[in-house]
Amino acid sequence: MLVWTVRRILVSLVLIWIVATVIFTVIHLVPGDPAELLLSSGGMAPDPAAVAELRERLGLDRPFLEQYGAFLSGLLRGDLGASMIDEYPVIDEVLLRLPRTLELIAAGAILAVLIGIPVGTQAALRRGTVFDRATSATAALLLAVPIFVVGTLLVLVFAQWLRWMPAGGYVPLAQDPWQHLTLLTMPALAVAKGLVAVVFRMTRAAVLDSLSRDFVRTARAKGLSPSRILVHHVVRNAIIPVLTVLALHMGTLLGGTVLVEYVFNWPGMSTPLLKAVEARDYPMVVGIVLTISVLFVALNLVMDLVYAALDPRIRHA
Amino acid sequence: MRRLAIPGALVAAIVLVALAAPILGLPDPVQQDIAQRLSGPTAGSPLGRDEFGRDVLSRLIWGARASLTVAFASAAIACALGTLLGLLGGWFRGLGELLALRSMDIVLCFPPILLALLVVTLLGPGSGTLILVLAILFLPGFVRVTYAEVLSARSHDYVEAVRALGAGPLRILIVTVLPNVAGPILVQLSLAVAAAVVLESGLSFLGLGVVPPEPSWGLMIRGARATMAQAPLLLLWPCAVLTFTILAMNLLCDALRDWVDPRTASAVRLRAIDRVLPGLLPPARADAVLQVDRLTVEIDTPAGVIRPVDDVSFAVRAGETVAIVGESGSGKSLTAASVMGLLPPAARIAQGAALLDGTDLLRLDEAALRRLRGGAMAMVFQDPMSSLNPVHRTGDQVAEAILAHRPMPRAAARREAVGLFRRVGIADPERRANAFPHEMSGGMRQRVMIAMAIANNPRLLIADEPTTALDVTVQAQILDLLADLRRETGMALVFITHNLGVVAEIADRVVVMYAGQVVEQGETEAVFARPLHPYTRALLAAVPEGDEKPAGIPGVVPPPHALPPGCRFAPRCPHAAPACEAAAPSLESYDGRLVRCVRVAAWLRETASA
Repeated sequence: MLVWTVRRILVSLVLIWIVATVIFTVIHLVPGDPAELLLSSGGMAPDPAAVAELRERLGLDRPFLEQYGAFLSGLLRGDLGASMIDEYPVIDEVLLRLPRTLELIAAGAILAVLIGIPVGTQAALRRGTVFDRATSATAALLLAVPIFVVGTLLVLVFAQWLRWMPAGGYVPLAQDPWQHLTLLTMPALAVAKGLVAVVFRMTRAAVLDSLSRDFVRTARAKGLSPSRILVHHVVRNAIIPVLTVLALHMGTLLGGTVLVEYVFNWPGMSTPLLKAVEARDYPMVVGIVLTISVLFVALNLVMDLVYAALDPRIRHA
Repeated sequence: MRRLAIPGALVAAIVLVALAAPILGLPDPVQQDIAQRLSGPTAGSPLGRDEFGRDVLSRLIWGARASLTVAFASAAIACALGTLLGLLGGWFRGLGELLALRSMDIVLCFPPILLALLVVTLLGPGSGTLILVLAILFLPGFVRVTYAEVLSARSHDYVEAVRALGAGPLRILIVTVLPNVAGPILVQLSLAVAAAVVLESGLSFLGLGVVPPEPSWGLMIRGARATMAQAPLLLLWPCAVLTFTILAMNLLCDALRDWVDPRTASAVRLRAIDRVLPGLLPPARADAVLQVDRLTVEIDTPAGVIRPVDDVSFAVRAGETVAIVGESGSGKSLTAASVMGLLPPAARIAQGAALLDGTDLLRLDEAALRRLRGGAMAMVFQDPMSSLNPVHRTGDQVAEAILAHRPMPRAAARREAVGLFRRVGIADPERRANAFPHEMSGGMRQRVMIAMAIANNPRLLIADEPTTALDVTVQAQILDLLADLRRETGMALVFITHNLGVVAEIADRVVVMYAGQVVEQGETEAVFARPLHPYTRALLAAVPEGDEKPAGIPGVVPPPHALPPGCRFAPRCPHAAPACEAAAPSLESYDGRLVRCVRVAAWLRETASA
């Protein structure tokens, strides 16, 4: 178990290193000089002297390998460089905004689990009934509506028509907990919409599969009550694939919240990212993308460790 | 195939409308007319005009063109390139495999939208960038699907055969592998197109996809947000069209997947169990722990009602072992399941009774049955690996059985479980109780199952092929264990098997079943010494003995929906006469035994005179 864990962590570290290298290399291989792009405006050729000065300041005039070395050693020290635009340290921006993005994802995931698992289990137990068909159809619809469409429609209905809550924004929890949660509601619902459908589908399929297993027959032969069989044997086994899929989708959400944050003006990672993409602020883009990719890899690692805890068979594989 | 029709038609309709955009006589989608901005439906524009006075219907249809072009182009590129990489990686292995697969792992390290944003930063927004980004995103899916299929195809006999014939790798790939991977790739392609529509609209919504003023659904929603107070319909139209398109594509994906891989398609419809009250019952034998009387089980199938268990009667006394013997499909396991109340949902009891100490199990409700299951009656199943829950410790699973019937502190139940482990002959029971099923050998797992079954001192133990999945030496140990336990506890043991060798070793009496019916029943020694039914004789002859080659039984058990009119064994019987096919024989008492054969008297005379 210990060897397995250590190896799994080492593999993740290597992956992170590869990701960082790929991002760095790709940025530098692309034609076009960032300094030149940064200084050119409205089709006017920039002043060569200014370009040269900026290149020197950004270290772009140094050899590729030297820049790479500086980049890596910066990474090891937790230094992601500074924005080209306002020289604000990237790591500070990330540390300020990352928790807000994670809060959105966590809220969405909690909603998804609280709704998706019980409803999915019920749908499996009542296979073929109206309930099953209605919930399955709803899940199909939820999967089909793009996340930003749901967000926009939520704003239209709850903020514009019903006027129950503001269209978006953010207030720190410490400042006004109630307002914080109110503002969290709609973005969390938007994040949860796809997750709920995915968790529902997977739960339904996994419970159906679990129900047909021999150990369920054994549990019945032991004389266990239906609720105990359901919770302790059926759902306990079904939960493993559900968590796999949830983790996978939470990973894609690390990027997917960009759309939700944009719609609801939630000041997570997306605002600086979008600004940086438009302005071609390379250090900022690299820093944010790298941070999220590292989280993505870390999430996969954590989930692997969680399965090992949940499914004793994996520990020996 | 039929499930494909509706979503297929919907997607085809969307694609056709998009393709036909230039010939539909629509107004120019980028022609602005500020004077008419946000105007409602008019004769010229049935859906009204947007914030720049552009025609909404025209923009919707031209927007479909933009979305679908990006979606199909990116999916096609990813499909072609990914399939090629997967084929090469899977076929040549080695370095190619490493490069093709590992590079895909790197793509998968990025959340999709982020990777897209990264590429947009580098190349600037636009349809070309979108196509490139999406193609990169979908590449891993195609590579992996193709790679997996190639690997499995490689090991198939026919591919080996073609290779042995000296065909070049390219030819083999094209002729033998591609047709096999076509299905999964088609599914992957449909998934990619659907995902591309979602991502394209999302990026355009952020202003990083399609460049204005070119129409796109994402851009339309982006634009309409500003005016949602005055003109909410402007927002709803593109939302509805986009959602509808993705829904149709998703449905097509699901249908395609079911079509390509029928295993995932929906299974048979279930129906609730309904029990018919049995008729008047004969008085129970006083000393029988279990008495099964005229048990008949029916299952509704598309081909009509079948009776996999038909009029089965037998009894087991305390301390006695009765073996039920028969080939697969003889109804022996369903008989046991009926007694335990564990019939599959499609099966129902049509008639009969099963008395456990005088209580008719077939008339009990589920709650009462539950109190008996694992308590007064217990069962051991064939495959101990799948019958144990893989995620719980074996000791806990036994303790759970104890706690289900006798409330006590967890620790006490756990201690009792360890005691049971010792009793069923598991060495080092304290440590073994902490083991998971996969950490045990097959024989030890079956000992755990037995410990679980005897946890509450059952009066009746049903063992359904408990040794079939085990090695021969382990089989003997398990049989000894069951025999010892029966002797010590005085429980009644019903032993279900297809192996007559096992019967001779363990059973006092034997019930031979064929095609749902009892064909012979009697003391084990007598039956083995002089089998009366031709099927019993055939079974005995089929047991390997010394160097003699066992005589197989020609033919197979008839399926329950195609039973012969007379004796069910007649088509396979070496002694069949016209009388056998005329009428179904009944179970007759003969020489202290029960036999279902019209020719038994005649046969006995023949053998006696011979």
